[in-house]
Amino acid sequence: MTDITGATADTMNNFIGLSAVLTGFATSIIAPTLDPVDIKSEYLPVFTQKITEESKDPTLVTTILQKYAALKAQQLSDQQIGTQMLAPDNGTNFVLACRKLIFMWYSGAWPTIIPATNKDPETTVSDMISAKSYTTGLVWQVMQAHPMGDSNYRYGYWAKAPAALSAYTGHQGGAV
Amino acid sequence: MSAQTNYDVIIVGSGIAGSIMAYQLGMAGKKVLILEAGQEVPVDRSGYMETFFKANAKTPESPYPPTTQNPAVSTAYNPLGLPDPAKENVPRYTVLQIGAWRNPKQCYFDYTPQPEHLKPDSPEAKFAFASSYERIGGGTTWHWLGTSLHLLPNDFELQTQYKQGVDWPGGKQFYQALVPYYEQATNEIGVAGDKEAMDELYRGFNVSPDGVYGANYDYPMPGIVSSLVDQQYEQAVSDMVYDKIKLSVTPTPQGRNSLPGERRQCAGNTNCIPICPIQAKYDATVTLGRALQTGNVDVFYRHVATNVQVDENTKDVVGIDYVTYQTHGGVATGGGTVTAKKYVIAAHAIETPKLLLMSKRNKACPNGVANHSDQVGRNLMDHIMYLAWGLAKDPVYGFREPLSTAGIESLRDGAFRKDRAAYRIEIGNEGWQWAANDPFTTLADFVFGQNNSQLNGDSVNQQGISLRFDPAMPANSSLFGASLVSTLNGIYTRQIRMGYLIEQLPDPENRVELSETLTDNLGLPRPKLTYQVREDYVRNAFVSAKDISTKLFDALGAREYTKAPSAPVFYGDKREVTSNNFEYQGNNFTFYGAGHIVGTYRMGDCRDTSVVNPRQQSWDHSNLFLVGSGVFPTVATGNPTLTLAALAFQAADHVLADLKAS
Ligand SMILES: Cc1cc2nc3c(=O)[nH]c(=O)nc-3n(C[C@H](O)[C@H](O)[C@H](O)COP(=O)(O)OP(=O)(O)OC[C@H]3O[C@@H](n4cnc5c(N)ncnc54)[C@H](O)[C@@H]3O)c2cc1C
Ligand code: SF4
Repeated sequence: MTDITGATADTMNNFIGLSAVLTGFATSIIAPTLDPVDIKSEYLPVFTQKITEESKDPTLVTTILQKYAALKAQQLSDQQIGTQMLAPDNGTNFVLACRKLIFMWYSGAWPTIIPATNKDPETTVSDMISAKSYTTGLVWQVMQAHPMGDSNYRYGYWAKAPAALSAYTGHQGGAV
Repeated sequence: MSAQTNYDVIIVGSGIAGSIMAYQLGMAGKKVLILEAGQEVPVDRSGYMETFFKANAKTPESPYPPTTQNPAVSTAYNPLGLPDPAKENVPRYTVLQIGAWRNPKQCYFDYTPQPEHLKPDSPEAKFAFASSYERIGGGTTWHWLGTSLHLLPNDFELQTQYKQGVDWPGGKQFYQALVPYYEQATNEIGVAGDKEAMDELYRGFNVSPDGVYGANYDYPMPGIVSSLVDQQYEQAVSDMVYDKIKLSVTPTPQGRNSLPGERRQCAGNTNCIPICPIQAKYDATVTLGRALQTGNVDVFYRHVATNVQVDENTKDVVGIDYVTYQTHGGVATGGGTVTAKKYVIAAHAIETPKLLLMSKRNKACPNGVANHSDQVGRNLMDHIMYLAWGLAKDPVYGFREPLSTAGIESLRDGAFRKDRAAYRIEIGNEGWQWAANDPFTTLADFVFGQNNSQLNGDSVNQQGISLRFDPAMPANSSLFGASLVSTLNGIYTRQIRMGYLIEQLPDPENRVELSETLTDNLGLPRPKLTYQVREDYVRNAFVSAKDISTKLFDALGAREYTKAPSAPVFYGDKREVTSNNFEYQGNNFTFYGAGHIVGTYRMGDCRDTSVVNPRQQSWDHSNLFLVGSGVFPTVATGNPTLTLAALAFQAADHVLADLKAS
């Protein structure tokens, strides 16, 4: 099955699975069953396009997702899968792509790394992908808050501690 | 547009000052025309919200036109993609331009050059102005925070009490006369405030609350619920004494709805600056709407006032010239002159003096209109800010409430005020968003193994304490999954920040002039600024702020992360020069702006040393009134808008009285 972006359902499933492992958020948050926002369908093409452009390797995204699928098939834990995906022997571009994937999910923006100079340390700048990506950024969830400028809460809720972190990450029992 | 000519009053600018004047005059049956340079107030704010969401840098100006940043024009010389102000019809100064202050292709303001041979601590060093404003229908309160404190009676007598700066005309009597207008202003803004807490504060300053509010006055809305952040400070600060003053935390009176009313109740969007998505926060479009509803007020948008015409013989103002445009970068589409009996300029403290100075073609006013005293444009002030930030011992869960809900007001007055500038301490609820561009800086650090937050490396703070968040983790860790979640959560939920609003003194050399070389797209001259922090009196307050911050963090059991700024660079490549850094007593400091632009058409009781009289009426032209914070003789110790609003109510009464008399 192929959708309009040319991605197969498998590709999307692997993308979701990998995103969940790397971000530490449950797939129920990354791609809820009822998903009117559907940010994953915005991120997969951005990720594919940007990584292909930046690495000049048209197969890199497929390689990454296939590696994830293979590890998943071995029934490894999230921690094990993540460690292997980010292992240096996958190659610099491979690992950097996985790291950029994490940044994108958390911030809603696409990062560019500005190398260190003899004066300044390495920094990151980023381009916001869309209005929707800003509000769905996982940073707001990991801080147990809401996107700045987009609160669904009620007056005064800030006087009490927020719900447990697990309610935001979708991983029960405190463990993520 | 065919202009009506039978107006009683013309007002330039539809911000809070202009809108209050229009509303009061319209209610009294006077025919009023507002000329507004910026574009219309939109029917709803979704367009501004969309622009904000998409903006890379969520600066105060980011939602509003013209665009603050265009990534498409980004180059090595213009990494932020700042648009060229020469190609804009209503450019304004933005926070992103501060770093590019020496580059007129990116910065709206022109700046006078640095003197030669500066040392890092030379008082003559010039800086970028650190605050911004808007030029759109409704003006700058679109992105104000909403803090609505009364000034203190002693703020009006800085000279008499402490031998510094100047008094406001009449000193404390001026305050007394303003009390009923303060009441009108708090009602107009709909301030949510905890009167008892304020009474306690005033008693600490030996001021009777009745003298501040009038008898039996209370705020129109109950105080905003305080944050968990505030509660931590309350506990920690209650035993502290500093400069012989007992400290306490006071909930801030603020212009946002604590109850549903005409507008919605605050829902904690934590976005008051740059834009409240639900208009729970007051902005001047509220008053502008009320003004229009009187049926007596017209507003012409995209009408840029360019000249104030003065009659050579009578010295009265006889008209205001304007130019119109359709699109932000398009050509001028027309122009004309509007006339009335009385004129009010309410274009805020940079554009008002600019307009007055631009009006020098009048034979009667070769130095510009209302400028017999040569004070127009001088004494530019702001609250220059010291920021301090840290990590609390336990989670305080910021990022969920209005950006600030409390402050330490105790040090706004006291005997120390003869030696150093006073300040109020604003307690932030937005983590390190302002201080370090979080959540994005810390995120990038732990995803890519960087250390710009100081949490992920070998940084130590100014007290020599290691700043690595988790000592068990190696420096420059790149995390994923569970450890990324727990690390980010541990950090963001503990972030705290304090901002010190330091009282700058009036300095006639700090000024707005007209650029001789730079223009905007309409061919109008751009402002040229000179901005210094010359007095030890003000610099001493930075030393004090740094010192007390460390003590406050100690009392909180928090770890301080305030980053020592780099040494100032005054010369060389314009991309390398610093904008706001200075050295003082061996320490490097940087200052931020509070958005409080003040002093450039000062009020006084002598026509040779001030621009307007205590009625906010030009000494030179009796039918011209200048309103807004430009009239403030000193910047004082509270955020200016409530006071400038009170003054606008008062000025409206004066205009009405004059209309009646004529
Ligand atoms: C980030 C930020 C936060 C702030 N927070 C607070 C706060 O918490 N509390 C507080 O008290 N104050 C705060 N302020 C300050 C507050 O915003 C200003 O004091 C207030 O908005 C000034 O109102 P005004 O009506 O005088 O000017 P403005 O609101 O700036 O209105 C001036 C109007 O004049 C128009 N204009 C300009 N030039 C021309 C021209 N040539 N022809 C026609 N029209 C023209 C402009 O388009 C504008 O609409 C903040 C400011 C900033 C920047
Ligand atoms: S906290 Fe949110 S809802 Fe409340 S005033 Fe600020 S932006 Fe508006």
